[in-house]
Amino acid sequence: MSDLIDYHGIKISLSGKLILDIDHLAVKAHQCTLVTGQNGSGKTTLFKIMSGLLRPDSIQVDYQGRQMNWKQAKPVLQRDIIYLHQQPYLFDASVADNVAYGLYRRGESKNSVQKKVFQALDWANLSHLAQRHAKHLSGGEKQRVALTRARILAPSLLLLDEPTASMDNEAKQQTAYLLQRLKEEGVCVVISSHESHTVDHLADHHLCIEHGKITALEPVKQSAKVTVLNHVKNTLSHD
Amino acid sequence: MNDIQQASVAAFELLLSGDQTTWEIISLSFSVSLSAIAIASPLALILAFFLAFFQFPLRRALIALFNTFMSVPAVVIGLTLYLLLSRSGPLGELKLLFTDKAMIIGQILLSFPLLVAMAHAAFQAADRRAWETAITLGAKPWRAFFTLMFEVRFGLIAAVVAGFGRVIAEIGCSMMVGGNILHATRNIPTAIALETSKGEFAQGIALGIMLLIMSLSLNAGVSLFQGKGELRA
Ligand SMILES: Nc1ncnc2c1ncn2[C@@H]1O[C@H](COP(=O)(O)OP(=O)(O)OP(=O)(O)O)[C@@H](O)[C@H]1O
Ligand SMILES: [Mg+2]
Repeated sequence: MSDLIDYHGIKISLSGKLILDIDHLAVKAHQCTLVTGQNGSGKTTLFKIMSGLLRPDSIQVDYQGRQMNWKQAKPVLQRDIIYLHQQPYLFDASVADNVAYGLYRRGESKNSVQKKVFQALDWANLSHLAQRHAKHLSGGEKQRVALTRARILAPSLLLLDEPTASMDNEAKQQTAYLLQRLKEEGVCVVISSHESHTVDHLADHHLCIEHGKITALEPVKQSAKVTVLNHVKNTLSHD
Repeated sequence: MNDIQQASVAAFELLLSGDQTTWEIISLSFSVSLSAIAIASPLALILAFFLAFFQFPLRRALIALFNTFMSVPAVVIGLTLYLLLSRSGPLGELKLLFTDKAMIIGQILLSFPLLVAMAHAAFQAADRRAWETAITLGAKPWRAFFTLMFEVRFGLIAAVVAGFGRVIAEIGCSMMVGGNILHATRNIPTAIALETSKGEFAQGIALGIMLLIMSLSLNAGVSLFQGKGELRA
């Protein structure tokens, strides 16, 4: 499978401490990559750099046949990659307006935006919340609205920062279900997690990050048994 | 006592009968202060945003500076501006002293630190995720700035209202650089001071009532607006 995007020589120090030092990171097209690492290992920092939100000390990006330095890559990354916060931020507006935000930024007409928003909310089973004020939603609902708001823009790559952390089991299942469908649609997703069982089974690739370094990158074949086992164990232990 | 009663009755007569001089003073006051706030606010908000969201050299020093300048007395700003604008001063060529333009400049200087400090506090309370979310969803930086302003609009409106409240009621600076010239630079505070010192209370009371009504309704408006926001948030 070909690479969607390649990052080379990612380095960043914050407050004088080396936080990330990654030689090469390839994101495969149409695949789901799971990034695991302990608290503080650098997952969030990595995602923000990958999506063009945080400036690293050094980086080189290969994307769509172009080799780019940070300055060239930043606008491209911001345009084509969407980063979802661990706790998503919803604007002080209705759910529908939140989902519409990115489409309006692309200059789409009101008519086309409304149609797409309607369909997208339907896709996520959120139609009943369309006019609800976004600040009044539960954590799980916020996460699903944020996913919908990202998906509607058909990004090349979606970076999800611990999408199921601090959720109850039902919310986790609902989010996992949406992720499953995103994956089936061929959306390229990278998911981070420090404990993750809920989304393990979605991953085609598994990447470990320790103290800012990638320590293992393996196609899921090798780790499949373990993750599936884990998943089964967890499902069982919840019953 | 009788005098004050009579003066109060006369004050209402002045206001209600649409006394030309009185209303001229009121309208000058508003046009000067609204102009000053309209000019100062955009720049102050942008600066406040940068101070809150980006790291750059002298950032802390600037924040401290604006916090300090907030408490410089109006009359000191008036004096400084007077010296700059007076005929022998470095900006004397502009012939601005004792004009309403000079008053506007004075009120801009007066309100700017307050606007920056309060807007900075509002932006600081904003969630960094709001900015990142706007950018990652494809907003250009300018657009993301407006989104962020919307997210913290209550704090920003409070800042602008406080700035307006400070300049509409200040007397020291307007007196120094405006000169309290009837039909030209006489505004509400300078007129109150002058009329009262002459022993003519009616106009002073009338103008005082106007100021009071204005500040009460502005504050009521802001609280109502903020209350609505809290209900929704
Ligand atoms: N602005 C900053 N200044 C200094 N250090 C920082 C800054 N931001 C993050 N760090 C440090 O960088 C390291 C990686 O942080 P990061 O948030 O990327 O970890 P993470 O893997 O996402 O952790 P978690 O699982 O808790 O979300 C941590 O040690 C953190 O303390
Ligand atoms: Mg994190």
